[in-house]
Amino acid sequence: MPSWSGRNRVADALAHREPDRVPVDFGATPVTGIHVSVVAALRERFGLDRHPVKVTEPYQMLGEVEEDLKRALGCDVEPVPSRKTIFGFTNEGWKPWRTYQGQEVLVPRDFNFAIDAKGDTLVYPEGDVTVAPSARMPKDGYFFDAIVRQEPLDEDTLNVEDNLEEFDYVTAEDIAYFQRECARARATGRFVIANFGGTALGDIALVPAPFLKHPKGIRDIAEWYMSTSSRREYVYRIFARQVEIAVANLESLASRVRDNVDAVFLCGTDFGTQTGTFCSASTFSDLWLPHYKDMIDWIHGHTPWKVFKHSCGSVDRFIPLMIEAGFDILNPVQCSAANMSPEHLKAAYGEKIAFWGGGVDTQKTLPFGTPAEVREEVLRRCGVFAPGGGFVFNTIHNVQARTPVDNLIAMLDAVAEFNRGRIAA
Amino acid sequence: MNMMDLHKLYDAVLNGDAKTASAFTQEALKEGAAPLDLVTNYMVPAMDEVGRRFECEDYFVPELLLAARAMKAALEHIRPLLLASGAQPVGRVAIGTVKGDLHDIGKNLVASLLEGGGFEVIDLGADVSPEKFVEAIKTRDVNLVCLSALLTVTMGAMKTTIQALEDTGVRDQVKVLIGGAPVTEQFASEIGADGYGESATAAVALARKFSHA
Repeated sequence: MPSWSGRNRVADALAHREPDRVPVDFGATPVTGIHVSVVAALRERFGLDRHPVKVTEPYQMLGEVEEDLKRALGCDVEPVPSRKTIFGFTNEGWKPWRTYQGQEVLVPRDFNFAIDAKGDTLVYPEGDVTVAPSARMPKDGYFFDAIVRQEPLDEDTLNVEDNLEEFDYVTAEDIAYFQRECARARATGRFVIANFGGTALGDIALVPAPFLKHPKGIRDIAEWYMSTSSRREYVYRIFARQVEIAVANLESLASRVRDNVDAVFLCGTDFGTQTGTFCSASTFSDLWLPHYKDMIDWIHGHTPWKVFKHSCGSVDRFIPLMIEAGFDILNPVQCSAANMSPEHLKAAYGEKIAFWGGGVDTQKTLPFGTPAEVREEVLRRCGVFAPGGGFVFNTIHNVQARTPVDNLIAMLDAVAEFNRGRIAA
Repeated sequence: MNMMDLHKLYDAVLNGDAKTASAFTQEALKEGAAPLDLVTNYMVPAMDEVGRRFECEDYFVPELLLAARAMKAALEHIRPLLLASGAQPVGRVAIGTVKGDLHDIGKNLVASLLEGGGFEVIDLGADVSPEKFVEAIKTRDVNLVCLSALLTVTMGAMKTTIQALEDTGVRDQVKVLIGGAPVTEQFASEIGADGYGESATAAVALARKFSHA
């Protein structure tokens, strides 16, 4: 019998071989995490040490899944997070903060905020309170959203460089951080997924640049979407230049951390809505695919890393194109969207791309269903996705605030029940 | 300006060319075109075609946004004239993302398409309290209320909003449509909404149905 580590369990699954049990991820990426309030509730349920939870991703208010909780959840994946948060400051120098729901949490030292007249919380890019705030949490809310800071656009002076300010070559500090973090992650024995940053092409969460003090170029969300149709060459040139920088950065990093990383979180751009896609397949092929391919070809040609793509929504028709681009992993596998049934996805693409997610619906079943409904859905999903490998269990996107802990326990129990059933069989 | 030229207004809206739509409208009005004729015979049919192309996946969200912007640019010149002439809109809609939710792409899209479909749209923005919806109904002669939510944690605010309409006695004056990623037909009926729009174009079709347009 081989001795299974999280690393070889996930590696086997991604190689489309069936590991000893279904591998599990919670908290290893910004799209497979758990809201800080639910992290605290889970810690309480498992009887783990009581202390304020660190908010490691302050935009979506994701809580740190610490070592003891990772063990309780059976996590097989270890994150190497990006060096800076979406608000442009590093995750260090923790200080207390109280959420609207009264939870005492820890936030990074440079998480500087103000409360406006409505009672909303405003945060500042790089923690600099002398500039305009870049994100807002509504009073009594659970998450932040970007404040769009769009300067008036002048078609004649529109400059690609303005949309490239955030993409730069890695610094000595960045390299030292990733060397340290990758070595730490490797030592856990889990599968290591790194988020180096700079490789997302037009991720709408990043377009308003909540990390920049004075964003220039196209930063309004609707304006960006329209630009993918009306200013296609402009967008193409942004992506092309971004990829040049990204590949140079991947080269610098790979030479130092190559063997301490198993996969990279490449891009979180959402191409799907609940019912269809944000653009046509030909737009995806013309505007995105060549750039993805450039980055992925380099990665596959020079490292053993697998490549992770996140896209919410109904992306059925884009999956063949994502496979063509070279993506190894699709997340979050939103089965609740049109044409995204687990059976169809597994049959059509299961041998060519691995599904990381899809374990249980977070729009309906997990937050609003009964534990029995959660159990039934998880068993069914594992039954479809797990055979033959190609599956890493995660909820469909982050576990949202106010998700009942009983449902999460039912989910974990169902994964264990599925594994027991397979061993017994 | 002859009919052929006016067709360029139709094309400008369909192609999402706001600059041309605005310029043509101004020119047409200067040359004596009837404002209502521009809306009814060129702009609304153009938006109908945009909706048709969206439904058959020839157009996508970016093209919808572009067309809606072109329509808006043309309407800027026409709206004051229509108001002055006493022309009635197809319906009067109060639209907003519910309390606690700041996501407004979907809401903005529906608002633009409704405007393009001849509705008067009172856009209350995002993170809108139930009281604001009630106030809009009471003061603006609204006959339709559109509620949007993206988050599972804010879907409940749709129910609270409908409850507020009941409590203040204005529920019977309006039809309530809801939409947003986690929202379903079943949820709409559970909370007592009158309809659910699966997409922006579906929302407009429902709004028209409720306004008998």
